[in-house]
Amino acid sequence: MKHYAPPEKFTVIKEIFPDVTFDGAERQPALFVTDDKLLDLLKFLRDDDRMMYSRLENVTSVDWKTCFVMVYNLFSWENYEDITVKVKLDHEKPVVSSVTSVFPGVEFEEREIFDLMGIDFRNHPDLRRILLSDDFEGHPLRKDYQQIMPPRVRRLVKGE
Amino acid sequence: MLKTETYTLNMGPQHPSTHGVLRVELELDGESIIKVKPIIGYLHRGIEKLLESRTYIQCVPYTDRLDYVSSMNNNFGFCHAVEELAKIEVPRRAEYIRVMMAELNRIASHLVFIGTLAIDLGASTGHLYAFRDREDVLDLFDLVCGARMTFHYIRIGGVARDLPMGFIEKARAFIDKLPERMAEYDDLLSGNEIFVCRLKGRSVLTKEMVLSHNMTGPNVRASGVPFDIRRVDGYSIYPELEFKVITGREGDNWDRYRVRFEEILESAKIVRQCIDGLPEGPVMAKLPAVFKPPKGEIYSRTEGTRGELGFYIVSDGTPKPYRVHIRRPSFVNMQGLNDMCAGYYIGDSVAAFSTIDPLMGEVDC
Repeated sequence: MKHYAPPEKFTVIKEIFPDVTFDGAERQPALFVTDDKLLDLLKFLRDDDRMMYSRLENVTSVDWKTCFVMVYNLFSWENYEDITVKVKLDHEKPVVSSVTSVFPGVEFEEREIFDLMGIDFRNHPDLRRILLSDDFEGHPLRKDYQQIMPPRVRRLVKGE
Repeated sequence: MLKTETYTLNMGPQHPSTHGVLRVELELDGESIIKVKPIIGYLHRGIEKLLESRTYIQCVPYTDRLDYVSSMNNNFGFCHAVEELAKIEVPRRAEYIRVMMAELNRIASHLVFIGTLAIDLGASTGHLYAFRDREDVLDLFDLVCGARMTFHYIRIGGVARDLPMGFIEKARAFIDKLPERMAEYDDLLSGNEIFVCRLKGRSVLTKEMVLSHNMTGPNVRASGVPFDIRRVDGYSIYPELEFKVITGREGDNWDRYRVRFEEILESAKIVRQCIDGLPEGPVMAKLPAVFKPPKGEIYSRTEGTRGELGFYIVSDGTPKPYRVHIRRPSFVNMQGLNDMCAGYYIGDSVAAFSTIDPLMGEVDC
């Protein structure tokens, strides 16, 4: 069965990263971290003997209309445990550090987020649109995205 | 003065070896490959956005269109995620039927892999043989749900309807004759010298490479990493079933072919156990007329045919999901393509595209 990280791990993390916040009342609390501490936290979660979250399974983002939230789902092979890390981003100009330096296997997923959600990644090796064409305007997964409809063409009437 | 320079060559998007609309930009030095850039997105339909404006029940048929060769596994993955989110208890008979369908679909999907690998390497006879057996699986699916592709049979809370009369006998007959058929492929393909030469020692992916590219599924098992979500998570009834996690050693094309080959037989074993242990009872849990999962979010993963199929669902308490993200295994696996091709010849790249087994419906989503 799937297991979520036990509360003891959270106290260990809290000791080393005092800025990290989480909702202790929740059943499966997520770690909220600021952008500048993100890489350090992920490196710690990956390398520390008590953590060993060596697999970043899933990277995605959610548009909450007032802010963007980056979601990182990590998994530990050694302890069969999951943990979630989140970063809150400004809605006007969302920028976050790319985690490709810690987990190189997220290159395409970050490109996908850049493409569809419009979040900028600092120090990404190859940040281009991946699914949509290069001249596409806008980011479709945003909640305020409006599709640009093609112009209406009036039907030609006989004799005109 | 001697001067060399590299040049680029586009494979696809309409090349027969690229399995759909995958375009690959090859940077070549003579005939050897220096760098490979997969260019994707030709089949992008915006399914993640579409799901936001559908109810949970209406979402399920869209997952059929992701990996259209193994739709049952996709249905299973999505329904499993929603059930985990809403804490729905699925009847045991439904769980057995689901696992049976998922494994039958795994057999069909791996048979497609063997067939297309054979045709990519110029052995068109192998293709016809593999598709003959896949046809038998599709006939079984036709019986249970009336469709040969895009099944929409596994629903939230169970399965659409109970197994029809005569299904068990037909499934058992198929499983009984499968080892014989696989021995036939062994004679036809695995013993073929040209086939072996094209695959052995080519496109080697080491353990470190597959782990750093975050690859999953048969591709990672071929490199000797025994990572199988069916075993790791033990979701549904998999902990009660006996099966082996097949691993390779070298991580070359040959191992990727062998791992899928052996997995067909393992899946057949699982199907047989499901048929033997099939309990009686209902096949659908009781759901409210308007299905609304509670507020919250879930990341749920299952083992699709191509690797870890994950669904990240955010619910805001309304009948429609607020956000759905699909972690598609083929999409993430594409990152390994450069390491598989660099240093080999153009001819080897065709085998590499084939053994990484991408499905463009899933890559582009």
